[in-house]
Parts: sequence; structure tokens; C-alpha cells
Amino acid sequence: MIALLLTLIVRRLLSAVPILLIVSALLFCVLRILPVDPAAMSLPPNATIEEIEAQRRAMGLDQPLPQQYAIWLRGALHGDFGRSIALRRDAGELVAQTLPATIQLAACAMAIAAILGLGGGLLLFHLRGTVLEPLADLASIVLLSIPEFLWGLILLFVFGVLLQWLPFTGQVAPGLPLPHVTGFLLLDSLLVGRFDVFLSACRHLVLPALALGLAFSPTIMRVLRSSLFDVYLEDYIVQARLRGLSEGRILLGHAFKNASLPTLTLAGVQFGILFSGTLLVEVIYSYPGMGNLMVDAVRNADLPLIQAIGLTYCVVVLLINTAVDSLYVVLNPKLRVR
Amino acid sequence: MALALQAKNLTVSARIDGALVPAVRALSFDLEPGRILGLVGESGAGKSMVGRAIAQLLPAGFSITSGALLFEGEDVAGMPPRRRRALLGRAIAFIPQAPMTSLNPVLTVGAQFDEHLARFGAASRRARRDRAVAMLTAAKLPHAAGLLGQYPHQLSGGMCQRVLIALAFSTDPRLVVADEPTTALDVTTHPPILTLIADMQRQHGTAVIFITHDLRLAAQLCDQVTVMYAGRAVESGPARAVLATPAHPYTRCLQLANPSLRAERRALYVMPEQMPSLRQLRDLVGCHFAPRCPLVTDECRRGEPPDIAVATGHRAACIRTAATAGIAAAVRDDVAVRAGEQPLLQVVGLQKIYTVGAGPFGGGRAVAAVKRASFSIAENEFVALVGESGSGKSTIAKLLVGIEQPTAGRIVFAGEDLAATRNRAQRAASVQMVFQDPQSALNPRRRVASIVTQIMEAGSRHADWDQRLARTKDLLAEVGLSADFATRLPGQLSGGQRQRINIARALCALPRLLVADEIVSGLDVSIQAQLLNLLARLRAELDFAMLFISHDLSVVRHLCSRVLVMYDGEIVEQGPVAAVFDNPQHPHTRALISSVPPDEPQAPWAALKA
Repeated sequence: MIALLLTLIVRRLLSAVPILLIVSALLFCVLRILPVDPAAMSLPPNATIEEIEAQRRAMGLDQPLPQQYAIWLRGALHGDFGRSIALRRDAGELVAQTLPATIQLAACAMAIAAILGLGGGLLLFHLRGTVLEPLADLASIVLLSIPEFLWGLILLFVFGVLLQWLPFTGQVAPGLPLPHVTGFLLLDSLLVGRFDVFLSACRHLVLPALALGLAFSPTIMRVLRSSLFDVYLEDYIVQARLRGLSEGRILLGHAFKNASLPTLTLAGVQFGILFSGTLLVEVIYSYPGMGNLMVDAVRNADLPLIQAIGLTYCVVVLLINTAVDSLYVVLNPKLRVR
Repeated sequence: MALALQAKNLTVSARIDGALVPAVRALSFDLEPGRILGLVGESGAGKSMVGRAIAQLLPAGFSITSGALLFEGEDVAGMPPRRRRALLGRAIAFIPQAPMTSLNPVLTVGAQFDEHLARFGAASRRARRDRAVAMLTAAKLPHAAGLLGQYPHQLSGGMCQRVLIALAFSTDPRLVVADEPTTALDVTTHPPILTLIADMQRQHGTAVIFITHDLRLAAQLCDQVTVMYAGRAVESGPARAVLATPAHPYTRCLQLANPSLRAERRALYVMPEQMPSLRQLRDLVGCHFAPRCPLVTDECRRGEPPDIAVATGHRAACIRTAATAGIAAAVRDDVAVRAGEQPLLQVVGLQKIYTVGAGPFGGGRAVAAVKRASFSIAENEFVALVGESGSGKSTIAKLLVGIEQPTAGRIVFAGEDLAATRNRAQRAASVQMVFQDPQSALNPRRRVASIVTQIMEAGSRHADWDQRLARTKDLLAEVGLSADFATRLPGQLSGGQRQRINIARALCALPRLLVADEIVSGLDVSIQAQLLNLLARLRAELDFAMLFISHDLSVVRHLCSRVLVMYDGEIVEQGPVAAVFDNPQHPHTRALISSVPPDEPQAPWAALKA
């Protein structure tokens, strides 16, 4: 099985190369077509036309588009994603600094979405045929229609402002140090033994992660429920009943694992969407992740930075899909044999 | 001795439009420990309902409305669920109809055994494992220990059924319900699987309810049989007596509708219409078989017939039992008559190799679905292609109609190389296919008229709607359906009607060759007889040849004049039906023939080893 998994992963990574090339080229073209002039923006407002022209030549913007892309690509291959125009720092470095915070947020949100989604799906299914079913059904549809930024605002207002239970700005309480080992704050605070920082980081993570998780759990809930309905039509469920197994045992021991396969496929797709969903939530909670960086970059028409962040999103989604496919092989014995 | 299972006037009803309609009516039987009771009937007769009633797992809306079903004297209907669950799996076990899908695909065989045995006693993991290995070995599965780590999809259908049989008997149950345990499996696995059930039953002294549609098979295996029709036990008695001297006209008609592998070739007896559905039953007065019965009198329609004893322990629910033996079908031998001299189709060195498991960077391995096949079909000739699943039959069908392209070899049709024919419409006009599953072969959103004349939409044959409606009317008449079927949707048709529509569609452009892939295999005997007779009549009227793919040798012998036997991608034997079946040369042909139970209940079935 390990050999099979390795083959799968290697294949996926190889096929990621052309995808990344296409995406980066697309991003590059679209950004250059935008009616913004990075040369003018990088200079003070009182710069003369000649100065702007000189700057444009210096930045290579006078070259034809394919050539510009080739220059960028050569740099990117050497780890140089260009300099941020607004922040005047290396774009790759900026991304590397903010990415861990976003991954941390997305992972926590996914865990919450999975727990709520799977639990809710099992509950929804369990309530089938009871008087509570239409009610639960309605509730899940209402949940399904609330997007993550709305959850962000609701949670912020209720738990942050009204009840004042949890903090709602930043990554840790002001005044606490930010230890840096791996870039992942939860991990780093534990590594350096600062439990106060760890706790504060956890408390800061609750609301944004919950907002994202709540927004994505209903889809998982409903897919799991409908997969369970499909699985319950299968002969092996009837046969399990005829063997006298209890309903609970049939649901958890037999049906759940089968129904989780289609759910997993969906969760993989969802995680890509969830990852981009971090953007709005980060803005709402002033969370110093890649999303906030992206918003600033867009506002400043910071083309090199937008390009670097956009590509990073693409890489993350590809990696997640690879991971989900690998997990699928682990869970589905039919895919394991050759 | 206490009875293992007893039904006393058992009635299972469904609620339809507010009224209770019995799906099983006043069924009574006694099953002694260590005996086998056969429940025989066509689909919808209510035989499976009895098995479900024992477990109280009836379909939604169905319930036991009167009478009693006693397991060792205890009524299963009044039993608390906890008590029933304690009996299920331990004292009462079930062998399913579809073994491939009855094991959980994501759990190993070992895990499913372990779960089962853990519920019933065996304390240590070690003891459970030993028991599982012992049972799998007893079920004649090789390498039982290694099997425990395997998943169901790694096993063949026959192996899955052996696992399920081992599982069923592993707790020494006192009653086993086997619901069509061989129907979904290849013919050659039928005798060994049945032998295994009979052996296990003898060793464990188990009482068995054997549910089947096959009267001949029931007669070989069972001590007693009960023939069911539309929810009622129409005839019951000692298995051999019921088959040898059927007293109820339905049993007799069923027997005559089933083609024989060994007896003289006869026209099949056709019962008109079909078994009444539950909805129709509600309004039916009198004997439920009366609308289809050749012996019907006015008295039959007035009231339900009583159960009449025709011999010791042999009863039938009919007032005309004395006349039953007189029902007969005409002798005929028109099968080989009309085959022409000219070869219509010549297949030379046909080969098809699939590459499986290949990725975007190549790899994978070659699997030969058809290794080497050469045969010919004359004009108007019906040629059968028989073999087990995976032998390459369906691949040949796909190659002939052009769904797949051959790896090597030639298909010459009326002197023209079909592989070179790029014109799909032209090819479709001369070779048509009838698919196995009539349900999925018909677009559920199209009406019958649009389905059967679909080919008139194509290319140069493009026709206006009036022409298509006129053609539909002719076609419907040819396949024996009334003109008002033209506006129906496939969902409004029965299985037999759908297959008729399927055939009508294939005949629309008057093809010269019909490729029919297992077109009667999913149908009940009485519906199968209707279709086989229909095909024979159509050939006489319309002049076409047919490649009839089937696993059922009796049907093949009835309909076709020549037979090709396929095994593992090769045609291992071919010749006239009579010659091949009377004097088979290849071991696989012999195995196929010996898998069919004999017509006479007294005749020993050599394949069923005692």
C-alpha cells in the first residue's frame, strides 16, 4: 500500500508542474492587463513623467509580456518572487511569514467543520423518520445558507462585543511575545514553553476558526446524510440486520465508513474553498495571515505580491487534493489492489 | 419433536391507498428440524416476504396482519425486538441472493467474521479466529487463514457466497433461510454451492427454508415444496411428487413454460398476461390464477378455491385439479428449418485486448477479453454464445455492433469488412443490439414512440413524426403490445414489456443481424416464455439472424440451432445445438451442461454430490 501511495503522490506532484505553470502565466497576464501602473505607484506622487518612464524601464515593464513572464519565472524558480512595491520587501518572504498563521486557522476550521459536519450528519440521519426530522432538516438548510463572513460578524458581535468572552483582534493578546521557531504560533509557543502565549493564541483562534468551521460544516453534514441514505439501501446493511446487529452498531461499524468515502471527496474540494474563505475572516478579525496580506496587496495594486500569494493558494489547494486522494486510497480497499 | 418453524394462516399485508392488501395470504406450513422446505414462485409471489417476516424486516408499509409465524413455538411477530435480535444470527441465519454485495466492502472477511462470532460467545480473539478458519475450510475455501485478511471485492461471487454460508452456519443456527442463493452466480457454481448448503444443513441438523424460482432445482434439493402464486400457497407437498405430478394448473403451466435441456423440444406454454400486482389483487375476486388459467370455469371466478388434498400430504388450491395433467404444449421442431445457406457474418481471428490500470505516463497491463474467436452466422440463423461471466461474451457483442474496436481480426458482414465501415448509421441499420437490462437501456425521459423509432432520427433516414408514429404502431403490434403503449414512459412498463420495447427498437430499421445479450436472464419463467416465443415468431416474419448471448443452456437449446461455447476469451467448442449438448467435447461444455438440474425429479443430479 505504501508503494501505491508513493506512486500516487509522485504522480500528483508531477502533474502539478504544468498546472502551476498555467496558473502562474494566467495570473501574470491578468494582472498586467489591469489598468494600474506599478511604476507610477512605486514613486512619490510628485514624480515627473520622465522619472516614471525611467522607473518603468528599471522594473522591466517596457519589455513585451512573454519576456516579462520569463523574467518572473526565472526568478521564481530561484525562489525570488520579486519585491513588494508597497512594503518594499521580498514578496516570497512576506508570504512565508504569513502563511503559517493562515494554515493554522484553516486547519482548525477544517477540524471544527469535520467534527460538526460528521456529528451533525450522523444526527440528521439518526433522526430520520422521527418528528424532529423536518426540524433538523430545516436547521441544516438555514446553516447552509449562512456564509463565513456573516458567521464572523455574528460571533464577533455576540461573544466578542456583547458577552466579551473571547478576544477578536489579532493572533495573541498585545504585549505578549511572538516566539518564532516554525512559524506556527500554537506549536512555537509550546516549543519555547510559553503556555500563556499558547492559551492566548488559542483564545484568539476560537472565533475565526469557528466562523469558518460553521460555514463549511453543513455541506459535510448533508453529504454524509445522503451518503448514509444510499449506503442503507445496500445489501450488506440488510444482511447485517439479518445477523441481528444493533442499529447503532450497523450505523457506526458498517455504514459510516462506507458513507465517509463520498464525504471525504467533498471535504477535499471544500477545503480548497475554505482556504480561500480565510481571507474575509482574517480581515474581520484583523488576523495577521495571508488573507490580510492579500487584501493590502490588492488595495495597493502590489502586483508581485498578489502574484506570489495567488500562486501560494494554488499550491496549497493542489497539496490538499493530493492528501485527500491519498486518504481515499487508505480508506477504500478497492483502490488498493492492482 | 418441536417444529423449527411453523406458519399458521400467516397473512402479510401492505397498506395501499388506505386498504390492506395481502401480499401473503393464509400461508400454512410445518418445518421440522433438519428438513428443507422449498418456497417456489415467480417474483412478486410473496416467497421472499416469508423470509423477511421471520426477521420482522418487512418492507415499509408491510406487516403481519393475521395468523402466526412460530419459531420453535414462539411467535416472531409478538416477540420483543431484543429477544428477536438475540435469535437473529445465532439461532436463525440468512443466506442472501446477491453475495457480492452482501459483505461490507470496506471490512475484511476476518473482521466481519470476528464481529459476528464476538456477539455470540467466543470470548478470545484467538478462539474466534480459529472458528472462522475452521468454518471457511469447511466451506471448501482454500487458504482460509489468508482469506481472513482479504476484502470482498478480491473474491469471486462464488467465494463470497461460500463465506456467507460459512458465516451463517458458524453459530450452529437451528433455522437457515436461503433466498435464491445461486441466482446471481455463474451456472457452474450452482451445484457446488447447493451441495455445500445441503452438507452444512446435514452436519448441523439445521432446518432450511429454500426460496427459489426454479421448480426443478427445488425438487432436487428440498424435502417439501410450497408453490406460491400472488401471495397464496397454490400447491404444497413432497418435493418430488409436486414436480412429477403437479396438481395445480399454475405449477403445470410453469413447468411447461420452462424450456428443457434434455427432453424433446417443444413450444413453450405461454400463460397470458402476468401475475397480478398488489394493486390489481385488491379488486380481484375468485381464484387469483383464473385470469391466466387454461382450465378456468365460471365457478373459479366466483370464489377462492379451497385447499384440496390430492394425495397424502399433497394439497392444491384448485377445484379443477383432475384436469391439470391434460394441459400440454405442442411438439415442434422448427428451429433449424429457416436458416439460410449464405454466411451473413464471418468473424475471423477476432481479438480484443484491454489495458487496465494505465496512468497518464503509461504502465498498466494487458488483459485479453477475447483471445481468439472465429465463427460465422448464416442468414436467418439463430446462433447462441454461451459461457460464464468474464468469458468474453459481452465483449464480442460490443465488437460486433462497433461499440468497441477489435485489437486484431476481421468482422465481415454481408461481404463487407465492418471494421472498415466508418459510417455508423449504415452499420446500425444492419446490426442492432438488444441490451441485457431493459430498465437502464431505455431513456426514462422518452416516450415509447420516441424510443422505438430513435434510429429514424439519424442521418438520411430522418423522418417526420407522423412516419415515426406509424412505424411505432407496426412495431408495437409486432412485439405484441397494444398501440396505446406509444405514449407511455419506460417507468410505466413492467420488466417483460420493457424488454419487448427494447426488441422493438432494435427491429425498427429491419436489421439483418440482432445481437441479444442475456435478454431474458432477469425475467420470470412465464415472461421468458412469452419473449422466446415472440423471438421465434419474429424470425419467421421478418427474416433476421441473431447472436443470442446467454448463460442458460435450456433457453439456448430451445431457441438456437447452433451454439458457440466460450471460456476464458476463447471459443472452445462450436457446432449444432443437438450435437454439442448430446456429446460435449470440451470439459467446460460438460461442466455447463451438468450444472442444469434434470427435468425428472427422480433422476439423480450427478453434479449435486451427496
